[in-house]
Amino acid sequence: MGTVHHDLAGEPSFEPMIQIDMEIKAFVSAWKHCDYVSTYMARMISQNRSDSVRHSNLFSSAFNELLEVAFRTRHADGELACRVSRHGATDRIELTFPCVPEERQFYEQAVSLVAGSEVRERYLNSVSGDLAPSREVVLLELAIDYNATLRVEEADGDAIKLVVDLPLEGLQN
Amino acid sequence: MNPYDLLPRFKAQYDANNQEFSISGVVRPQAIDELGPSIALLRDAIGRVRGVLYVNVRRLTQMNNAAFHAFSRIILDACRARPDLKFIVITSSVVGWTSRKFGRLSGIEPNITVEEYDSEFYPGQGFLEEGGFVPILRTQTKMTWRHERAILPRHGMRPGIVMADICCGIGDFAVLVQKEFQPSRIVALDHSRSSLAYARNVAAEFDIKGIEYTYGDASEMLLEENQFDLVTCRHSLQVFNKPELILRELFRICKPGGRVYITNEKNSHCLGEPRADSIQWTYNEVAKLWAHFQMDIELGPKSKRYLTEAGLEDIRVESFMVTNHDGDPQDFADVIAAWENVYAGEMATKRGDTPAFIRRFRQGFQDHIFAALHSKGYAGWPIWVASGRKPL
Repeated sequence: MGTVHHDLAGEPSFEPMIQIDMEIKAFVSAWKHCDYVSTYMARMISQNRSDSVRHSNLFSSAFNELLEVAFRTRHADGELACRVSRHGATDRIELTFPCVPEERQFYEQAVSLVAGSEVRERYLNSVSGDLAPSREVVLLELAIDYNATLRVEEADGDAIKLVVDLPLEGLQN
Repeated sequence: MNPYDLLPRFKAQYDANNQEFSISGVVRPQAIDELGPSIALLRDAIGRVRGVLYVNVRRLTQMNNAAFHAFSRIILDACRARPDLKFIVITSSVVGWTSRKFGRLSGIEPNITVEEYDSEFYPGQGFLEEGGFVPILRTQTKMTWRHERAILPRHGMRPGIVMADICCGIGDFAVLVQKEFQPSRIVALDHSRSSLAYARNVAAEFDIKGIEYTYGDASEMLLEENQFDLVTCRHSLQVFNKPELILRELFRICKPGGRVYITNEKNSHCLGEPRADSIQWTYNEVAKLWAHFQMDIELGPKSKRYLTEAGLEDIRVESFMVTNHDGDPQDFADVIAAWENVYAGEMATKRGDTPAFIRRFRQGFQDHIFAALHSKGYAGWPIWVASGRKPL
């Protein structure tokens, strides 16, 4: 791995790798865009990982779930921005998409739950429950199955930015 | 319409004989209705089986949470409705996420167990993969490379191509190819984690870029179809008990118009002078010994048949003889000494051969070494090279 850079706040700096921007209208016009984008970006960023095929498959799996979350936004205008950057063994996804204020509040709450102590229990309850997985469950699953850390950041306008760090390189089966 | 839309993205099937429901491919529905027939098939399977239902997800590369929940729900409900029924979910470590995710189900219902299917399916191969064999594999590649570097361009090797080296072992062939021919990308796959670790170390140490070493089962690869200009698989079909399964995969990942390239041996044709008879006897016995462990070290001349039956065309076959005159005769002798250790020392012993047989068996290798190092001697090891083009 190359030199580690740290910014002033002490967080290591992530090197940008790839970014895809789309009008949200175009994105939500077809469900398969989630699959296209996650598969394409996973392949692009995985080629110099120690096991490119496995890394790509894992990354695509996690990223697709995030894109499916963005797909269900109730806000009709604006841009979807997917950016992937890297620091050592961790890949960072920054997914910015328009959402309505209630959704923003929902994501902030969901992400705070992911950081809580009962993540695993909540996730198992949702798997054994009758309801189809909610967006909250999707985020919980990223933490449980991919050791992801998540946070919500401010974005311009009626948008939200989900920041998800995925340490896939060291992930055991 | 985009051709992508026409591809079946996943397949579900039920095998009544084995009580096995399997689902493979990419399952990312927007709505659960899209899974209707597959869900119905699983429900039907559950209704028919007694004892155990195997749920095979070894080749399930992707499944979104919506689909996972839908299938899990049925299995969990069945556990509650039928406590007599057990579910065994078969995952693959290659895929990466399935063991973890399906593993959660066993935490919810004890009647669900998850088994990771891995690389214990190639009888005999363990003999050839232990760490002690690595220096010999390197020497073997050095000896065969002198010939193959001239042969490869006749079989589709050229700068800039995208290639895969399947069953790459310790990865030295991929490195030599990278240096000599500069393909734009090499994916090198093997199912031995220790060999791949060695390969990655070598690549890092020598700062070799552009080779992706990846873990996988050659008979069920995650690599997508139609993506490589050249797919190589060297000295490996002879090690598998079902080479046609590997060939089907080599064919699948090769681009239409690209070529599949294989090399194999016919060990009974190893030869030497002096002491030809003893040498010949031993190598005839090598062939029988390999057959005992379900491997075919005589596969070389059968290459044309295998490639033709795999659906390839424009088959090109040639052979070359690695000899003690190629380079340092001691290299040749070292390789034979390693063969003696593995074949006479391990495999014959495991087969239960008598000390008298093993003594005679060893003598042939010793005579081959004698021929290799003799100032007037000749020792040879023949290799068959073959390739075929995937139809457009």
